[in-house]
Amino acid sequence: MTLISGASDSDLRAIQPSGHRTLIRRRPLLAGLAATAVAAPGVLRAQGNELRFGALYPFSGPIALLGDESFRGLEIATDERNAAGGVLGRQVRLMKGDAVDQNQAIGEVRRLMSVERVAAVFGTYASPLAFAATQVTELQGIPYFEMGAISDPITERGFRYTFRTCPRSSDFAVAIIGAVTDALAPALNLDPKTLRIAILHEDALYGQTVSGFQESQIRQRGLQQVEKLAYSARSVDLSSVIQRLRSANADVVLHTGYQNDIVLFFRGMQEANWKPRMVIGAGAGYSLTDTARAVGPAFEGVMNVDFTQFEVNEAYAPGVKQFVELYQRKYGSDPRSGHSLANYFGGRVYFDAVQRAGSTDKDRIRTAVLATDIAEGTTPTGWGVRFDERGQNTRVRPFLLQWQGGKQMTVFPQQAAVGTLRTQLGA
Amino acid sequence: MMRAAAAIAGLFALFAVPFWVIPAYDAEAAGFWQHIFVTIFVFAAMACAWNILGGFAGQLSLGQTIFYGIGGYAAALMNQHFGLIPWIGMFAGAAVSVVVAVLIAWPCLRLRGPFFTLSTIAFLEVIRLLAIHFKDWTGGSAGLPVPMFVGTELRIGWSWMLFREKENYLVIAFGLLVLALIASWLVRRSRLGFSLVAVREREDAARAVGINTTAVKLSAFAISAGLTSLVGSFHGIYLNFIDPETMFSLPTAIQVAMFALIGGLGTVSGPIWGTLLVVPIAEAARGWLGAGANGLHGLVYGVVLVAVVLTMPHGLVGSIGPWLRRRFGAARAVDPTRIAAPVTGDAIARPPIGPVILEAQGLTRRFGGLIATNDVSLTLREGEVLGVIGPNGAGKTTLFNLLSGFLPPSAGTLRVMMPDGSWVTPSAPHAFAAAGVARTFQIVQPFAGLSVLENVMLGAFHQTRSATEARRIAEEVATRCGLGALLLAEARSLTVGGAKRLEVARALAMGPRILLLDEVMAGLNPADVTAAVELVKAVRDSGVAVIAIEHVMAAIMAISDRIIVINSGRMIAEGTPDEIARNPAVIEAYLGEDYVHVAA
Amino acid sequence: MDILIQLIANGVLLGGVFALISIGLTLIFGIVRVVNFAHGELLMVGLYATWLLSAKLGIHPYLAAVPLAIAFFFLGALMQRAIIQPLMNADPHIQIFATVGIGTALANGALMIFSADLRSVDVPWARQATDLFGLASVSRGNLVAFAVSGIATTGLILFLRRTHLGRAIRAVAQNRYAAPLMGIDVNRIYAITFGIGAGCVGLAAAVLAPLYPAFPTVGSFFVLTAFVVVVLGGMGSLEGAVIGALIIGLVESLAGYYVAPDLKEVVYFLIFLGILIVRPAGLFGVRGAE
Repeated sequence: MTLISGASDSDLRAIQPSGHRTLIRRRPLLAGLAATAVAAPGVLRAQGNELRFGALYPFSGPIALLGDESFRGLEIATDERNAAGGVLGRQVRLMKGDAVDQNQAIGEVRRLMSVERVAAVFGTYASPLAFAATQVTELQGIPYFEMGAISDPITERGFRYTFRTCPRSSDFAVAIIGAVTDALAPALNLDPKTLRIAILHEDALYGQTVSGFQESQIRQRGLQQVEKLAYSARSVDLSSVIQRLRSANADVVLHTGYQNDIVLFFRGMQEANWKPRMVIGAGAGYSLTDTARAVGPAFEGVMNVDFTQFEVNEAYAPGVKQFVELYQRKYGSDPRSGHSLANYFGGRVYFDAVQRAGSTDKDRIRTAVLATDIAEGTTPTGWGVRFDERGQNTRVRPFLLQWQGGKQMTVFPQQAAVGTLRTQLGA
Repeated sequence: MMRAAAAIAGLFALFAVPFWVIPAYDAEAAGFWQHIFVTIFVFAAMACAWNILGGFAGQLSLGQTIFYGIGGYAAALMNQHFGLIPWIGMFAGAAVSVVVAVLIAWPCLRLRGPFFTLSTIAFLEVIRLLAIHFKDWTGGSAGLPVPMFVGTELRIGWSWMLFREKENYLVIAFGLLVLALIASWLVRRSRLGFSLVAVREREDAARAVGINTTAVKLSAFAISAGLTSLVGSFHGIYLNFIDPETMFSLPTAIQVAMFALIGGLGTVSGPIWGTLLVVPIAEAARGWLGAGANGLHGLVYGVVLVAVVLTMPHGLVGSIGPWLRRRFGAARAVDPTRIAAPVTGDAIARPPIGPVILEAQGLTRRFGGLIATNDVSLTLREGEVLGVIGPNGAGKTTLFNLLSGFLPPSAGTLRVMMPDGSWVTPSAPHAFAAAGVARTFQIVQPFAGLSVLENVMLGAFHQTRSATEARRIAEEVATRCGLGALLLAEARSLTVGGAKRLEVARALAMGPRILLLDEVMAGLNPADVTAAVELVKAVRDSGVAVIAIEHVMAAIMAISDRIIVINSGRMIAEGTPDEIARNPAVIEAYLGEDYVHVAA
Repeated sequence: MDILIQLIANGVLLGGVFALISIGLTLIFGIVRVVNFAHGELLMVGLYATWLLSAKLGIHPYLAAVPLAIAFFFLGALMQRAIIQPLMNADPHIQIFATVGIGTALANGALMIFSADLRSVDVPWARQATDLFGLASVSRGNLVAFAVSGIATTGLILFLRRTHLGRAIRAVAQNRYAAPLMGIDVNRIYAITFGIGAGCVGLAAAVLAPLYPAFPTVGSFFVLTAFVVVVLGGMGSLEGAVIGALIIGLVESLAGYYVAPDLKEVVYFLIFLGILIVRPAGLFGVRGAE
């Protein structure tokens, strides 16, 4: 357990009385630039005893909600780290970068590197933004710590200084198919091969990648796929989709979707008086309490595979309750999704690695990151850490959750579970 | 010259600031600033390209990101599948875009106004959805990362369009902007540019001066698409990751059009001004307001857009330009000494009447049950003036529309002799124009937003491709028609008499051999009528055959060699002015049967 | 066979939803000749308003329909007077961008006030399935929406044909230059028409609130479809809009089943393009009106 004890230079704690709050400077874009042009360079950025990291997330635009939620996790990790003396003996300061699309991601990451002089960049929640930003950091030789974007190729491009702690699309697909074979089928007392599985997904990046891996997993394991349907995330009607599923006589629907289409899907099933034996979601809209509220009682029993959520066995995810308390204290509300937890986890791993590297040199950081070795079941997410050469964490997997009584209970794997799987879909 | 020098200096400054000035001043922040300028250059180049179609030709397409996307995908896919450098994909993409543009424009350009706009949006949506659906080809929504490493080979440098030195991006983006700007400047000054503006201002009149309206709109669409595609290829590589949502994006298409609109629609520099104003404002709004509340900067952006549109409907250049000109005096004037003195009627002896050059046989035109023109046959000889008279509603204008190709006949034939003696049967207005037939409209159709000179130049472009030559012809013809003092006036400011003269001048500038004049004297005061009669005589004396519809009897009698009379679509009489004046059928048609009896 | 009947039932009812949203747009489009890109955002505002009335004041959405329609009438008239009227003689490009600006401001304003979360009006009754003569299963909320769109369209048609004001509106639509000669105040007619169009959106929002949750970008989900419906039916033709809506509803339902759900938009955009090319004025439009 190196993670918690990572704050080894506790001698610094004494001289950091104000270290309990993360230092955040909102970027005053042109204002800041104008100021750098007017004032002598360096006056504004008296760095003193702080170590700067970039925090690149979509803070505005349509996906801002979860971008901000992700950032909160990193912010809490930073607070915690600063309270314990910071990194390399210096207080950590996060410099926010707001990336709404690829073009802005490039601009912001450049600003973070050149104007704010960050030692590394944390991010990103959305895969397209990660693709664009990592290319810039890689060429510049600045480490990029990914904690939320799931598109597989992000760590398959031969980049040396891009690392990812969170699971990938393919990990989601493996976990979802595993949920069918290892959890659902046994609970139903059925051979998984007899289950008629249908894949349903919105056609944006998230849905298309996850469903692609689902399909190949189904094929690999010799399961029965009866339908694979895509629909536009801007659809206003899914009734024909439901008729297709009904005609295919699907037992299990693997659905990747956002909030609105999930609501339409469940309302449509209600209208059509039809439902499969089980719906298994793949994170995103399925993890939000808001969706559960909008759908109503029909959401009870829905299964979901996602980043670690908060109803999880604390023995397997030590520190999760503590995280929720920190979150509530800092933001005055419950976490809105598990994204903050995943980023909290990632932030701790990376801060620890930089500490061990002993400097902000990119190659020493790479060596330290790749040397990280944390067992599963010892962190607040329950995830372990072991990076491969490409910078992907291999000891990480999404968990199987089930909506029970308006809460998402972890039901699989066994060690992390706080509830038992129920086979009843709907109230 | 001053303007050209100022423009080049301005462009140089636009490049020098991010390339030399900022790095010299603050080397650390340069990377970020250069990104902002790359963004400005990319969007300004797209706005320039859009403006050729949306501004010059007035075709509000909101589907131009189709070509941005095609460019992006061409470069990325050829890179991925064949390991080709993006430069090859860039030009391949532009070629594909031009072809796709023609295919899309063909049906869309039949539509007008909002219908055209919506059809371009529909095409954009279809292409975006297809790019998502056929993921085996395009990578679908999962997108295509631009590879930087292939094996262990690091593919960066000029051939791969990927750089460690970020100022190189600036060079390419600026190059694209200059390219788009030059293209747009050349188009604006060329015959094509004038034709596009003519189409935008008044499509019928454009057809009358011999413009093949479909062809010019198609060209604008294709040029705009090609340029947009080049920008898309570069920007796709620059973004390092392309997906259908980003590349075939409706919001981006709207934004690009907005830059041009805010800068000044249909001006060459407007799109750049618009981009230079809006991109920094948007960035700053995000920087300053983004922290305040999610959505605040979007709200402000929307409100500012409405405010700009309400206060400056002609855009920055269109609103501030005239103000500057008023404030600091008109910069340009036509030098009167350059223009030859008006050619007067008696300067040249009248040439003899020559052989038949236009021949119509049994022309008939039906509108449902109504027969507007019924079996009319006529001939016109070289150097002759043929008058067409008849009561209101007799079908004279329909006859003109048949004679100029604006309406196809339901029956009958029409042929025109070419200068080489061969006969042709044109089918569309621009084909009639090519055969040497020019016309005016009874209800004047000036290109209201253009100057008198430019109006006439549009006619002159029928004779020449060179703008200088067209200007020379236009100045001469306009002066001959008594518009010499009004060359730079906006056409909409003319009086009725002036507008009628402008109609004639525009038609004359085409250098026709046959001129169709539709009531050019109606509504004129007696002095103007006299001038118009002299003008028609001068035209005749220069060897042009004229067919004139006229209500002013004194005038028609004075100018015509022969007159035909139309009533209820039929030709009821033909003869010299004297014969027509005594013809009972004509008197009856004009004054009623009773009058004939009384007269008899 | 069962499936086909079910699909047709779904398609027709979806057509009712589209009709409800489109009649306001076709009025504005046909009479004021303005392409209102903010139409979807007006619907979004209506959905939020219904949610507020229902969640905060406990007013049933269906009861909120009439007051909301009236409130939206004034909102629309105000919008026309303040923003569209000054641009009536400007280039059509300019009007489009003015409405784009309004739409952007409204969508982002909603994001600011309500955040990106879904706000759902809870009317369990409306979501329950009803058996349609043993042939198909449909939701009651959809039946209500269908009925309301029928009533609203009939009412509007009668209003345009039978009342003095309605005739004046039609006169303006036919010739905006001749109408003033008949003593019609054209600008007032425009404001009223815009108001009626917006009022229809208010009505639609209240009726649709039990079926569709409110969120800041919900307008963009509907607006393109509404334009397709309006152009398909013929600009300004209410009957056309209803027929167009039914066609699009059926295409969505059938193509979603028989082609592929992610290609159903492609199918109806292609039908839209095809009809535009063959009949540029739309199915019920007057030729030359384009």
